[in-house]
Amino acid sequence: MVPPIDLPSPSLGLLSRVAPQPIRLVLNWGRRYSLWVFNFGLACCAIEFISTSMSRHDFIRLGVIPFAPGPRQADLMIVSGTVTDKMAPAIQRLYDQMPEPKYVISFGACSNCGGPYWDSYSVTKGVDQIIPVDVYVPGCPPRPEALLQSILKLQSKIATESLATRYRPSAAALQRPLVTAP
Amino acid sequence: MSTVWLDQVTDAYVPLGGEVGESFGDVVVDVAPDRWVDAVTLARDALGLVFFDWLSAVDELDGAFSVVTHLYDPAQHRRLLLRTRVGEDGAASLPTVTGIFAGASWHERETFEMFGIEFVGHPYLVSLLLPEGFQGHPWRKSFVLAARAAKPWPGAKEPGESEHGASPGRRKTQPPGVPDPVAWGPRTGEGATP
Repeated sequence: MVPPIDLPSPSLGLLSRVAPQPIRLVLNWGRRYSLWVFNFGLACCAIEFISTSMSRHDFIRLGVIPFAPGPRQADLMIVSGTVTDKMAPAIQRLYDQMPEPKYVISFGACSNCGGPYWDSYSVTKGVDQIIPVDVYVPGCPPRPEALLQSILKLQSKIATESLATRYRPSAAALQRPLVTAP
Repeated sequence: MSTVWLDQVTDAYVPLGGEVGESFGDVVVDVAPDRWVDAVTLARDALGLVFFDWLSAVDELDGAFSVVTHLYDPAQHRRLLLRTRVGEDGAASLPTVTGIFAGASWHERETFEMFGIEFVGHPYLVSLLLPEGFQGHPWRKSFVLAARAAKPWPGAKEPGESEHGASPGRRKTQPPGVPDPVAWGPRTGEGATP
């Protein structure tokens, strides 16, 4: 196994950071309507997700593009279903492979908190124990309309977001020497 | 269930000392653990039950387990449950049937990790489904589901549990295998559960 390389955390260039408000509005507008989604379907909630992606509910009209080839091309991860302790490392790993900025929707009672399997010996009590979650969708399973609503919530969150704040470099990063090539 | 099939099974298993019975409309044969491999071989070769459906176990308490396997005849649409009882005299172990049905391998691995029954002669008897480092055998009835003992269940409130208080409580209902946090675990003796 290749030892992990200590790369700096991702940050924005100077121009993006000091971009005036109108430009930031345009940048956020672009990001909120081109969410390539990575479906982490683990149980019956994935069926509701698929239903949302099909023609009746059709979340492509909201700019959510389903079935990214892989996590490396995705902006949004929707965890729909029961997360088990055995599956948790895989979720963590695929989340880490997604490029920044990235968002997570936790879809359904199981991925919110463990749901009806809360007492189980094998179920993780919420996907937020391993990765940060932006929007939670309650329900068992939630209806497709609930997923559409959560996408709208996420889009309004992205619209008011400032990437400069999100990726503000730490004081230590400013004093750090150059990263040498491995 | 046809009488012909019952007679056929009885004739086949009497020499092996099998006890033929009926359970929920299925023919069940109880055999001794040392005749387990013979019994499965006989089912495949003499009775035509060539399709291995599943193998699992039942916790019979006091350290005893019933290991059950379900075999099927796809040509005649007949099926049979074979059962044996292990673990009454100490460690639960049983000879493997992977030599007869290769597909039994994963079923035996699952039964091994969930019940702690050792399948002697299995080519690769390691955990199949549980995460690495998992302690215990979760399908045993003695396995405690301890989540509720460590922290209160975040779900719906029962009568008497709301933060407003003053409303009358009622007896707590616990799911099977879940201990009362007042009686078991780190919060023992803290009074009623919140």
